[in-house]
Amino acid sequence: MLDKDKLRKADVFSGAAIFLFGLWVLSQALKMPMKDSWGGVMNVWFVSPALMPLFIGAMIMLLGALLCRMGLNAIGPEEFKATLRWLVSADLKRVLASDASVRFYAIALLFLTLVFINLPRIDFFLCAVLFLAAFITMFFFLDDGLLRAFLRFYLAGELLLLVFFALGLHRPAAETPSMLPDLLAAGFIAGYLCFVRFRVRARADLRKKFRVGLVVSLLTPFIVGPIFKYFLMVPLPKEGLVVAALDYVWYLEFL
Amino acid sequence: MIDTFGIYLQSLGHVVGSPAHLAILFGSVLLGIIFGALPGLTSTLGVALLTAVTYGMDAATAMVCLLSIYVGGTYGGSYSSILINIPGTAASAATALDGYPLALKGQAGRTIGLATTSSAIGTIISMLFLVTVSPIILHFALQFTSFEFFLLAFFGILISGTLTTPDLVIKGWISGFLGLFLSMVGRDRLQFYPRFTFGIPELDGGIEVVPVLIGAFGIPQIIEVLKNRVQVGEIQKLQRILPEFGTILRNVPKIIRSSLIGVGVGCVPGIGEDIAAWVSYGAAKNTSKNPENFGKGEPTAVLSTEVANNACVGGAIIPLLNLGIPGSPPAAMLLGALMLHGVTPGPMITFEHPTFIIECAAILLLASMAMWIVGITLAKQVVKVLRIPAPLFMPIVGLLCIIGSYALGLDITNLYLMIPVGIVCYFLTEMGYPIAPLVIGVILGPMADENLRRALMVTQGSFWPILTRPVALSLVLIIAWLVLVQFPSVKAFKERWAANVLGRFRSSRHGG
Repeated sequence: MLDKDKLRKADVFSGAAIFLFGLWVLSQALKMPMKDSWGGVMNVWFVSPALMPLFIGAMIMLLGALLCRMGLNAIGPEEFKATLRWLVSADLKRVLASDASVRFYAIALLFLTLVFINLPRIDFFLCAVLFLAAFITMFFFLDDGLLRAFLRFYLAGELLLLVFFALGLHRPAAETPSMLPDLLAAGFIAGYLCFVRFRVRARADLRKKFRVGLVVSLLTPFIVGPIFKYFLMVPLPKEGLVVAALDYVWYLEFL
Repeated sequence: MIDTFGIYLQSLGHVVGSPAHLAILFGSVLLGIIFGALPGLTSTLGVALLTAVTYGMDAATAMVCLLSIYVGGTYGGSYSSILINIPGTAASAATALDGYPLALKGQAGRTIGLATTSSAIGTIISMLFLVTVSPIILHFALQFTSFEFFLLAFFGILISGTLTTPDLVIKGWISGFLGLFLSMVGRDRLQFYPRFTFGIPELDGGIEVVPVLIGAFGIPQIIEVLKNRVQVGEIQKLQRILPEFGTILRNVPKIIRSSLIGVGVGCVPGIGEDIAAWVSYGAAKNTSKNPENFGKGEPTAVLSTEVANNACVGGAIIPLLNLGIPGSPPAAMLLGALMLHGVTPGPMITFEHPTFIIECAAILLLASMAMWIVGITLAKQVVKVLRIPAPLFMPIVGLLCIIGSYALGLDITNLYLMIPVGIVCYFLTEMGYPIAPLVIGVILGPMADENLRRALMVTQGSFWPILTRPVALSLVLIIAWLVLVQFPSVKAFKERWAANVLGRFRSSRHGG
């Protein structure tokens, strides 16, 4: 959590944002049926589906405005102007490019790419190995320089995957499911791991950490995945190359 | 009464008699202790992740699993508090104040033993309250009308916002209302009108509670630990673990007081074990003959906090099962899990599942016993997990959050919501907004919405019945008081009045 002074400054902006959000909720609620008929039911104000959203929107607006006012009162107009100046200064850029911020971007990027790009289109096991390998190598070495390098490599790979999917190249021409996205992902994992190994080649401590991270990244999906797939009978988000191989092994005795 | 006791014994036998249930019981307790011990992981997250694993189990077996991890997780936090001075969970933050100085004096084994026995006793006493208080609450709850349920939900959100906020109370309330907003997404249950769905069919069914909870609690935790590079310090040497029965027997009144605090705080909606532990710590210090020893390694401080935080477990389950209102964040997760297993907590629970509360009580007893056995025998092995670096286990937790959320509805839309909710919750936490009220808002939103409209339908838009019903009127007055005391003028008046009354009381005592 931020310290007290920064909190009061942040309150002005978060209060204003919350006020605007409340206004939006209110505007959406006003579009809901208040007196008209909906699904054969004639509305009166107390049955309307808008009743609670109106109350919530109004309360969010009120509380947001109060918070903004409290923040302004606490910091005073001069400090508020100084904060506004800071927001357009080079200092903000420095904060945004700081090591702690880059660590945040890395975590957010890893989660966002896993959920929005990889999981719906690439075999679960490959997604999990890529996610864990990238996550562990970025943070386990406790070296922000390496983290930035790995993050750039990972981002570049994910952008290529995004372009590949956006162009629709993953859609199979024939009826058989295409394994191309999985093969691409496997190539990306191999490339990423080679890059990491290359960057830590000169440091014995990091080479050891790399081995540990690699084992954890490879083993975990093969423990978690089968638990969900074969014991809890949960179909995985995308079942591709690795799941097909595992299915073959798992059901072999029943053939 | 005899029937109840019979069902209780039968439930105990059902778990003890089945090797599978016993394995689940001990395994979940152990997992809970590990989750609690590892800084960054919490019992809430433990319950959330295990919910997905209980998907294929019946409700009773799932409760064995989830209550055990809840009990184990609440206790497990004391390990890292005592051995490395970093609370494994917020619930054990107060334990670190005296637990770590005791460990520095070479009494780590004794302190862990004391924490273990205290936690087990706290859970057992709260279980007794669950059994005895539930019928009384249910008796009253059956008389409740829609107005009372609406006000109860609203009160839950407000009190949770008031008491859990780390900064301004207003932020707690904003958090609660943001949760209420999230609960409005989807088709409303009375007229099936789509609210805030933007024409996306996946949103018609509303937002799934459990993925939102996993996102709200799990993602910010992962970001917090890895962004700030939380490092585990030197682990104090652990000697033989002793159950410390002597200290327990010498402090029975303190145990009773801490249990009452734990159960009482647990019953208040949305307030977690951390507040119970701090209140109990404060009470123990204020009533101690040697308050100056607190903070320097006072065993009764460890006893008070550990009894209270584990007593909070049973306390939090009382409003959860009887009213459908979770008493703490892990209880909120339990609510999601119960609904997943077709059990709807609330006043009708004794009609729909007549033995369920008694079964839960029996499971709590067994979980506390399993926790005590694991704590006394395996503590030395369990503390080894403290050596695992966070960058190794946090990504695994992240992956489990993802697959767990997906598995609950087999719907990838859950993940599309979970990640943004998690990132927004991280920013909210950074800016001093508590997450518990948001979660309580998501859970209680539908209850508040439906009951308000239903009540107004019955009264044709009149709010007058609120003033004629004692419970509703009491709730309105409490809500009004909660809001009014935040105004500086009312706050000043309250403080003046309290000082005045206290002054008169003191002068009358001196005069007497």
